[in-house]
Amino acid sequence: MRRRKTIGLAAFAAAAALALAACGGSGGGGGGGGTTAKPSFNAGVAHVVNPSNHKGGTLNFASSAGIPDSTDPGNTYYAQMWNLTRLYAMPLMTYKSCPGKCGLQVVPDLATAPGVVSDNGLTWTYHIRPNVHFEDGTLVTSADVKYAVERTYDRSKFPLGPGYYPSLLAPQNATCAKATAAGKTTGCYPGPYVDRSKNLMGLNAVETPNSTTVVFHLAKPFADFNYVTAIPQSAPVPSAKDTGANYQLHPMSTGPYKFQSYQINKQLTMVPNPHWNPATDPSAKQLPSKIVLTFNVNPNDVDNRLLAGDIQVDLPGTGVQAAARTRILTTPSLKAQSDNPVSGFEWFMTLNNKVPPLNNIHCRMAIEYAANKTNNQTAYGGPYAGGAIGSTAAPPNVVGQKHFDLYEATTKPQGDLTKAKQQLQLCGQPNGFSTGITYRSDRPKEVSVAQAMQAALTRVGIKLTLHGFPTASYTSNFAGVPNYVHNHGLGITVYGWAPDWPDGYGEFYYIADGAAISPVGNTNLGELNDPLVNSLLGKFATTADPAVRNSYTPKIDMQIMKDAAFLPIVYAKALLYRPSNLTNVYVQPFYGMYNYAVLGLK
Amino acid sequence: MTARAPAPHPVITFIVRRLIATVFLLIVVSMITFAIFFLLPRLAGQTTRGLASQYIGRNPTPAAVHAIEQQLGLDAPLPVQYGRFLRGIVLGEHFNAGTSKAYCPPPCFGYSFKNQQPVWPMMVSGLPVTISLAVGAAILWLVGGVAIGVISALRRGTLFDRFSMGVALAGVSLPIFFTGLIALELFSYKWPIFPNVQFVPFTQNPLLWARNLVLPWVVLAFLYAALYARLTRAGMLETMSEDYIRTARAKGLPERTVIFKHGLRAALTPIVTIFGMDIGLLLGGAILTEVTFSLHGLGLFTVEAIQNQDLPEILGVTLLAAFFIVIANLVVDVLYAVVDPRVRH
Repeated sequence: MRRRKTIGLAAFAAAAALALAACGGSGGGGGGGGTTAKPSFNAGVAHVVNPSNHKGGTLNFASSAGIPDSTDPGNTYYAQMWNLTRLYAMPLMTYKSCPGKCGLQVVPDLATAPGVVSDNGLTWTYHIRPNVHFEDGTLVTSADVKYAVERTYDRSKFPLGPGYYPSLLAPQNATCAKATAAGKTTGCYPGPYVDRSKNLMGLNAVETPNSTTVVFHLAKPFADFNYVTAIPQSAPVPSAKDTGANYQLHPMSTGPYKFQSYQINKQLTMVPNPHWNPATDPSAKQLPSKIVLTFNVNPNDVDNRLLAGDIQVDLPGTGVQAAARTRILTTPSLKAQSDNPVSGFEWFMTLNNKVPPLNNIHCRMAIEYAANKTNNQTAYGGPYAGGAIGSTAAPPNVVGQKHFDLYEATTKPQGDLTKAKQQLQLCGQPNGFSTGITYRSDRPKEVSVAQAMQAALTRVGIKLTLHGFPTASYTSNFAGVPNYVHNHGLGITVYGWAPDWPDGYGEFYYIADGAAISPVGNTNLGELNDPLVNSLLGKFATTADPAVRNSYTPKIDMQIMKDAAFLPIVYAKALLYRPSNLTNVYVQPFYGMYNYAVLGLK
Repeated sequence: MTARAPAPHPVITFIVRRLIATVFLLIVVSMITFAIFFLLPRLAGQTTRGLASQYIGRNPTPAAVHAIEQQLGLDAPLPVQYGRFLRGIVLGEHFNAGTSKAYCPPPCFGYSFKNQQPVWPMMVSGLPVTISLAVGAAILWLVGGVAIGVISALRRGTLFDRFSMGVALAGVSLPIFFTGLIALELFSYKWPIFPNVQFVPFTQNPLLWARNLVLPWVVLAFLYAALYARLTRAGMLETMSEDYIRTARAKGLPERTVIFKHGLRAALTPIVTIFGMDIGLLLGGAILTEVTFSLHGLGLFTVEAIQNQDLPEILGVTLLAAFFIVIANLVVDVLYAVVDPRVRH
């Protein structure tokens, strides 16, 4: 995707990325060290529960769904998979293994240090650890990192992962630069499978001057680049062992575990990687003698097996079902073995700036005031399973986020009908109006919240028509296609978001920047195109000083809410259960679930 | 003068004719299914770009959408896409995996849009689970259901009849996801007689295979046995009041012969018909049972395919299920000749 034109420097960005998130917390977890706590409710949110270096046992994961996208580190976009890949892939950077806000820090993983910035922020240089090996004993070199990045350019084979490298790195040549400006790819690097250059190392934007150095040349300065290299896509891939679309069946491990067997959507078994060295991978541990992941297990059965101790971890990390939740919360001994962290997701509604009469800010503000936030929260499962009522566009685990409440979401959660009616007067619709609300019809919580909104807005004369669509085609064919939205008068869209990295840019760019509005698969669903928001995000991308960068986050948030473009529902929470025999358990805040890279068994 | 070739056996002619009809039927099913998933959405305004972007991660660029359109062959006209699909089933298909061109031998049901893996091996890997489940349960319900139905009919109005028909009514009324979860709660968690139910291949350990399938077999069979018991009872009651039964008894035939040779045999004809349909449907995926017990058979595969809107997978599993139903009906028709002497004439 294309980025806005930006100016400025990204010097000191490496240190900035570190300091940005270095907010203290329990510190120094290092995958099992740090502060510890006896098992009690929420102990795993800020502390390590059951710290241990005991080896052995089979760690069982289960998921009520299939594999969400792919086990190929270059082709995945799900938090659970980014968390899981740390067991078999070492990207250049990663999130520090420790509980609390400490875990929001991006730290070197395969790299020896954060990227060194030069050339006015256009060049980022990483040195990789010299003694890291693949599971077959081959030494990892910088060429393997470059090859991994090259693969991400082939979107036909790896469509599911992020597309940051093709959009951030310098164009391959002048033809590509021209084509990119026109939204095309003529002359651009096609990926290693079409590349005809020597050793398939044809991507000009990444250089490997020696076997331990990788140099990235950016099209424009981008201060958050360390976060980009913390996405699993930078984990090395040996070109000789790459099997393209089939690489997902057996990625070459650089982490503590390697694939033993894998049947897509059924079962994945991992065993210790004998060539893994704990000294070169401080973010992970190699404790269980086997890890088994079973997919497509009945959701209630997942919970029952979890409570019975047959499995230890629910892979998606989205919390137990209603039956188990009631049982856990009403049984003190079970509650003491559970955590209720903020998951990193925020559920919200966007109020579309282009769909009449919501193109009038006062009509949007009327909806903000009239909504019954308590009922919306209930629709999402209440305070434990749904989360805390939201009043800002960014959730609390985004670095720099500050609490404010423009529309009395937390002080008058039932809604303020007087103010809503005042806004309707200002909007020129004193008797209310009609508009459509879209939601994912196969998600009961979204159906409920749409119905709750319908009931709440009726109180001030606003009539909502319900438009449910399947999740699979929600953004591709309906809510994410502005033409469809305009033609059908769909003013409100139910949606949710977790950032690609935990700062203001990672949170807001795709959901609030005018440049992110796209004709298909659009994620700026409110079609917000506020010059101030766009400008602040532009500065964010190029400002090296993390303190300054973070200061933009609440300003962007405030402007989005002043625009009444977002109607926050909840800062998502999940009730996670940790069986008593699980060790080194704590919530990694960026993923909003337990840190899978350090778990062990008693 | 040449000798005339002997006329083929009528049963063989019948089977060959039915097999040819089966092929045409499957082609029609494939056309209808293809139209439902590829043509109807287009008529409703879906574009190939919209379809392609379903199989891309969030925030897709136009270039990425175009790339996946080409990779999945969605940029070709629909008749061409359908032709490719049929050709893949007959001749196999080559797929560009990036590093090499992978060959998917026939019957290649195409490549999964989401997983970028051939559909056929993924479907086939679920078959042992579904077959184990369906056949085991079928034996249970057929034996149990028919036996209970016969006894109930012969002891009409007794306590046994009332009790068994009451249980049968419950069996028909209770959905599998209810009885399944109750069974799991009681026999897997509360009293762990069958703990941690998961499929173990018969070839790996026959005892574990059976132990893990006992609960799913019983739960699935409970539903069908109840139905079969009621059907058998009704059939037997009707048959046993026929004139020829009275004649058989008047001839002095032993009661056992009257019941089994004349009564049950006639009553079984509709049961065999329904059994063929049921077993065919189940082989296409016992969705509720597989979902309840987390058995990775064709049923779970179908659910996963639908959730992902993975069109080649949906097409593949629909055709396979149709195939099972058609074949099961063919077998039933042949069995008619064995069960009902009238058919032979």
